[in-house]
Amino acid sequence: MALVEAKLQVGYCSVCGHLSAEPVCDICRAPNRDSKTICIVADSRDVIALEKTREYRGKYHVLGGLISPIDGIGPEQLSIQQLVRRVSQQKVEEAILAISPSVEGETTTLYVGHLLKPFTRVTRIAFGLPMGGDLEYADEVTLARALEGRRDLE
Amino acid sequence: MYLRSLHLKHFRNYQAQSIEFTAAKTILIGNNAQGKSNLLEAVELLSSLKSHRTSRDRDLILDGELFSQVGGQLEKDTGSIELAMTLRQNGRRTVALNSISLRRQLDFLGTLNMVQFSSLDLDLVRGGPDQRRQWLDALLIQLEPIYAYVLQQYNQVLRQRNALLKAIQKSAAHPPHSSSSELALWDAQLAIAGSRVIRRRARVLDRLVPFARSWHQTISGSTEVLEIRYASNVTADEDTPEALQQAFLEKIQQRSLPEHYQGTTLVGPHRDEVDFTINQTPARQYGSQGQQRTLVLALKLAELKLIEDVIGEPPLLLLDDVLAELDLNRQNQLLDAIQDRFQTLITSTHLGSFDAQWINSAQILEVKAGTLLEQESF
Ligand SMILES: Nc1ncnc2c1ncn2[C@@H]1O[C@H](COP(=O)(O)OP(=O)(O)O)[C@@H](O)[C@H]1O
Ligand SMILES: [Mg+2]
Ligand SMILES: [Zn+2]
Repeated sequence: MALVEAKLQVGYCSVCGHLSAEPVCDICRAPNRDSKTICIVADSRDVIALEKTREYRGKYHVLGGLISPIDGIGPEQLSIQQLVRRVSQQKVEEAILAISPSVEGETTTLYVGHLLKPFTRVTRIAFGLPMGGDLEYADEVTLARALEGRRDLE
Repeated sequence: MYLRSLHLKHFRNYQAQSIEFTAAKTILIGNNAQGKSNLLEAVELLSSLKSHRTSRDRDLILDGELFSQVGGQLEKDTGSIELAMTLRQNGRRTVALNSISLRRQLDFLGTLNMVQFSSLDLDLVRGGPDQRRQWLDALLIQLEPIYAYVLQQYNQVLRQRNALLKAIQKSAAHPPHSSSSELALWDAQLAIAGSRVIRRRARVLDRLVPFARSWHQTISGSTEVLEIRYASNVTADEDTPEALQQAFLEKIQQRSLPEHYQGTTLVGPHRDEVDFTINQTPARQYGSQGQQRTLVLALKLAELKLIEDVIGEPPLLLLDDVLAELDLNRQNQLLDAIQDRFQTLITSTHLGSFDAQWINSAQILEVKAGTLLEQESF
């Protein structure tokens, strides 16, 4: 509930899609963060979870959901085009896909991965997060380990 | 394994009832609609987290109540396990083993093993292919609980792919630019998940067949040859996951036109069949109801043996109304097979049709409107 209210008042970062009071969010503006690495997540909650690990110093891209035909969500409903533009126009050296391993997450990972591959190295978080769970519920230690153990998308 | 006790609270027509099982055989006797099958259903839930009678938890909760609890004490070779499950009118069910609640329901599966046999099981032979798939899936989940996850993944991919096919069908005039590459992704997911389902189903049947055949010969007392085959609509020459996935994708290609036309997935294990043949004739068409009953009994005994083999201890046997339907010969075959090794829960409306051997040394409980009364043993 708190998040929904926050969204209403706050709005989204025009660069990465994360929740933000300003047009561009704190993370995107931070000069000391590595802009050559972009971590791609489904939801702003995932950014918050990953930030808690303090392991990750790159930038993010929030897709705003997962591909799910049942819910009428196709690639057009997600911020995938913006992501491809971002990755193709900036000097991004690694795109990390950090998406839950559900059926929808897997499909989204593959879809986005294929689009990004011509432009950069694409990796994914390398282990199964709790079955049926969201990134949000993975504890910080597991998430940090997942980040370390990421592997190239096939 | 031995289920020592069962505890029901607000479950179906049971207000609050604890049952101690004191013998290898327990006979639940009572008129219709008193709660005999409900009690077996509670055991089924503890075993599989599923009821074959409903998929809605609220049906299982005593009318007018908000929650229901089912629990039991199970003795296994590895030790004693307390099983507990809470069902809620509004909200998710929760499960616990030895008072530790589990985050993944999957971890609850495979603890209590059982084989069910009810008069409805003739549908295994006579009913549609979905009945046989469900039977096989339920057996697989007991032997390889991870299969519950494999199957759930497949069904989810299937639902998503069907939704996408429907959406493409609707926008047929101007398909969205990305839809074909999106469909290709779901094709790949379907082939991966579907191949897992097919291979596991075929594998478990292969293991079951020798047991089923030998029981079938014993019970029928004949030389009839029973054949059981997993008939998949996707087959590969080579028995590897890659080969099957490849064959799967090719089959999807072949059927893509009718699929688009019908807006639904036509290829995959959701359309597979299990073929039973006796002397090369489909069992459905073969012989009398009695012969079909022999086949089902052979399958059930084979399940018992296979589970015992794989798990390393005998599972429970639940006989719902079916014993009275077996003739004395088949009753005796069954009795010989289970002896006192398999804990057996039996429901019946009357004791008259049982051979005395069943009743000797059995615990007899009378079921009346959701309460149990212990009867003197005969
Ligand atoms: N949720 C429920 N709340 C109360 N009673 C129920 C509920 N579900 C089923 N029943 C009752 O349980 C009885 C059926 O029990 P069942 O075990 O199937 O009968 P049987 O003894 O013939 O096997 C019926 O009287 C039915 O009304
Ligand atoms: Mg009944
Ligand atoms: Zn931002």
